[in-house]
Amino acid sequence: MSSQAAETSQLTATDIASRRQRFAQALTAFLPASCILSTTEELKPYESDGLTVFKKTPLLVLLPETIEQVQAVLRWASETKVPVVARGAGTGLSGGALPHEEGILLGLAKFNQILELNTELGFARVQPGVRNLAISDAARPHGLYYAPDPSSQIACTIGGNVAENSGGVHCLKYGLTIHNVLAVTVVTIDGDLLEIGSSAMDSAGYDLLSIMNGSEGMLAVVVEVRVKLLPTPPSAKLIMAAFNSVEDAGSAVGKVIAEGIIPAGLELMDKPAMVAAEAFANCGYPTDSAALLLCELDGLEEEVTAQIKKVSSVFKACNVSELRVAESEEERLLLWKGRKSAFPAVGRLAPDYYCIDGTIPRGQLPYVLRRMEQLSAEYELPIANVFHAGDGNLHPLILFDANIPGETKRTEELGSRILLLCVEVGGTVTGEHGVGVEKINEMCVQFDEDSLVQFHAIKAAFDPDGLLNPGKAVPTLQRCAEFGAMHVHHGNIPFPNLERF
Amino acid sequence: MSDTDNPAPAENRPTSSQNWPGQDRTDQLVERVQQAITDNAPLNIVGGKSKSFLGRSQTAPSLSTLEHTGVVSYEPTELVVTVRAGTTMLELTQLLAQHGQMLPFEPPVLNGGTIGGVLACGLSGPARPFAGSARDFVLGMRVINGQGKALRFGGEVMKNVAGYDAARLQVGAFGTLGVLLETSMKVLPLPEAQLTLQHELQSANTTDGIVKLMRQPLPISAAAVIGTSQFIRLSGSASAVSAAARTCGGEEVENADAFWQSIREYEHPFFSSEKALWRISVAEYVAPIELDGDWLIDWAGGQRFIKTDLEAETIYAAAAAVKGHASCYSALQMADSVALFQPMDGVMRSLQKRVRDSFDPQRLFNPGRFHPELDA
Ligand SMILES: Cc1cc2nc3c(=O)[nH]c(=O)nc-3n(C[C@H](O)[C@H](O)[C@H](O)COP(=O)(O)OP(=O)(O)OC[C@H]3O[C@@H](n4cnc5c(N)ncnc54)[C@H](O)[C@@H]3O)c2cc1C
Repeated sequence: MSSQAAETSQLTATDIASRRQRFAQALTAFLPASCILSTTEELKPYESDGLTVFKKTPLLVLLPETIEQVQAVLRWASETKVPVVARGAGTGLSGGALPHEEGILLGLAKFNQILELNTELGFARVQPGVRNLAISDAARPHGLYYAPDPSSQIACTIGGNVAENSGGVHCLKYGLTIHNVLAVTVVTIDGDLLEIGSSAMDSAGYDLLSIMNGSEGMLAVVVEVRVKLLPTPPSAKLIMAAFNSVEDAGSAVGKVIAEGIIPAGLELMDKPAMVAAEAFANCGYPTDSAALLLCELDGLEEEVTAQIKKVSSVFKACNVSELRVAESEEERLLLWKGRKSAFPAVGRLAPDYYCIDGTIPRGQLPYVLRRMEQLSAEYELPIANVFHAGDGNLHPLILFDANIPGETKRTEELGSRILLLCVEVGGTVTGEHGVGVEKINEMCVQFDEDSLVQFHAIKAAFDPDGLLNPGKAVPTLQRCAEFGAMHVHHGNIPFPNLERF
Repeated sequence: MSDTDNPAPAENRPTSSQNWPGQDRTDQLVERVQQAITDNAPLNIVGGKSKSFLGRSQTAPSLSTLEHTGVVSYEPTELVVTVRAGTTMLELTQLLAQHGQMLPFEPPVLNGGTIGGVLACGLSGPARPFAGSARDFVLGMRVINGQGKALRFGGEVMKNVAGYDAARLQVGAFGTLGVLLETSMKVLPLPEAQLTLQHELQSANTTDGIVKLMRQPLPISAAAVIGTSQFIRLSGSASAVSAAARTCGGEEVENADAFWQSIREYEHPFFSSEKALWRISVAEYVAPIELDGDWLIDWAGGQRFIKTDLEAETIYAAAAAVKGHASCYSALQMADSVALFQPMDGVMRSLQKRVRDSFDPQRLFNPGRFHPELDA
């Protein structure tokens, strides 16, 4: 993260005010006045997404109610060359929905209807502003659910999920958003309506659904999503296992998988995260141990029973210090509650916390944790770790106090070092939260110039004038040159011996 | 700053512990593409030439990936394998099987087929509706684009949202978005037990029964209909499979592995015919499509093969009428004037064309092979 990542507008306050008024006036041609927000108080709540260190005021917030209105707005934006930033619930953690000071923020909150819940055929068609959990809530009485379950699922929208290709604790077995979305209807920057994907399992031509998922609002605005509904597994059992070292916990994860078992969820917490979660949720975690694994197995009763046995014996062979199989559904949910509230729980330990989102090859975990300990000492900032251990997605939480001068900057630098560490061991700077404005610099290390050029070409194929969410997700080459120069200035080129990919 | 900016020690680098046989021909392949750029002369990208029945055959000089082979890294407990595109499917599937693992999308091996070819053609086998498709299991890709640059998209980890997912976009693009060099894929354990059940239907080619079963939490891993026979494969732990078999009912099929293999490899007696073979991709629940011909229905109803003498236009119209799309699996016997993939039009066509432009502006890669309307 770098606070300088987001460019600031060159316009004067008077320019801004007059544009705001002019655009609001022009837009009343397509939108009812109630859908156009323009006063300071109205704009305030939209200044940032979940990454609140970045704040910007958009010219206007538009809250359209129909697809035709979205089309008209985008057509207008395209003709007048005004930047457009789409927004779902604003829970994003990388500044993806950070407004553009010379542009409009297109909120999709009013598109909150489930259009079709087809329980016989196993799919739902929903509007983009429908909350993730609302889909599963609607499907559950019919024995079905929508699999991807980000921890923010009570609040985040399916449109935001598609834009970020969001994951959740059950991704290891059931896949990410991309694996559970069958089709999206989008409005292009020209205002054209287009269905990408279909009711079939593939479509003619290129698989554009692949690049729509995770495109961070850069390619088109999603106005409808068709998702897969899966049958609820009849049985789900949770094993909690505590270990005296993180290494033991890490190797236990590898050994479960070597047994041929793919758990529904496999989560690891280090001691600081576990202690915080326990204090928050009172779920009975053994806080005297060094690491905690939560391993959920689901499927048919017979299968789950057999797997519980196997996993328990794997854990026993890995020096487990405490092993507990949740006896009841209440106990299972309670044990999960601690993990699912880990972010706010850790948030209580310090005035501020900053959540990092790198992925590493799982085998690198002990090394990465050791290095993070060193970095934490070097920067004098504590780190708590929650880890989607099954798929290698790491969420170090850096604790800091923004009121102490210089601490935010040190936190940003430490965050950046951790991300580069992920790249160094063959991982990525973002597993599920997206690049947004936050990781734009680190993208320069993960990708070489040629690959970035190709990304810009893809973007231009959809949005030749670069009006959709400008400045996010993919850095310009110029920006990378500046970032590189900055590092040389400190006497370090990031990983000179490392192959850049 | 401390030593932390130095690269990780060798034992911590994400390389495999083993030395796999194979050879890296990236430099030669890049050079060949750069030559083609200079000469403005198209290339016919080929691997094992096992899929010439798909797409228009090419007259341009070949660019072969066959010498660019070998496993780059494979760590079974990471559930990830990285291979060069020219590695044959036979070698790859055997290696995975030795470690009790598989490519979950069950791609065809064919005679000399390569992993690059499977991904370029986007082929997935009977497990597709339940496990996911070829693109679902791709984590990363190295590709040469039409500028002659070797690029890398995605990576070797399960979750990665850095940059557009241009790795998965390559799957099923028939090489028209670049020369595939290397891919990292997610692999999974082989199931402990499998069992296939046959059940006779009241009327031919219907998938209603399968669709009902799919709404139940059963470990189904394949479902096909041939005439009035419905085949359901169950995979998982032995106990789960036998419990599910009681729910599904039907006769257990002997030699079921050979049966599913014959469908996956297009070797089932159904596929040998004088008539042209077409594939129609539709929602699995769509009622039997009213076209004259013989049918083999796979993917729980999502992939329907028809042998027929009907005109291409008739087939495309029928597919479009049920919101699906068709493609020809007998390319070699079709006249040059026949479109081999469901033609696109309107906004979708212009967008896809711009996507092609963005990777291959000179139309060097397999022009005409896939959707000729994107090559103009
Ligand atoms: C406490 C907490 C826990 C979280 N846990 C997880 C987790 O477990 N897994 C995970 O993956 N994420 C997690 N997140 C991050 C976040 O919730 C997800 O990224 C989510 O998908 C964002 O959805 P949103 O509706 O809030 O989108 P926003 O934040 O509003 O937008 C996110 C991006 O999507 C774009 N966008 C939104 N709607 C559309 C649309 N209709 N069309 C085109 N582009 C659009 C925006 O422009 C922006 O780039 C967490 C966040 C919080 C605060």
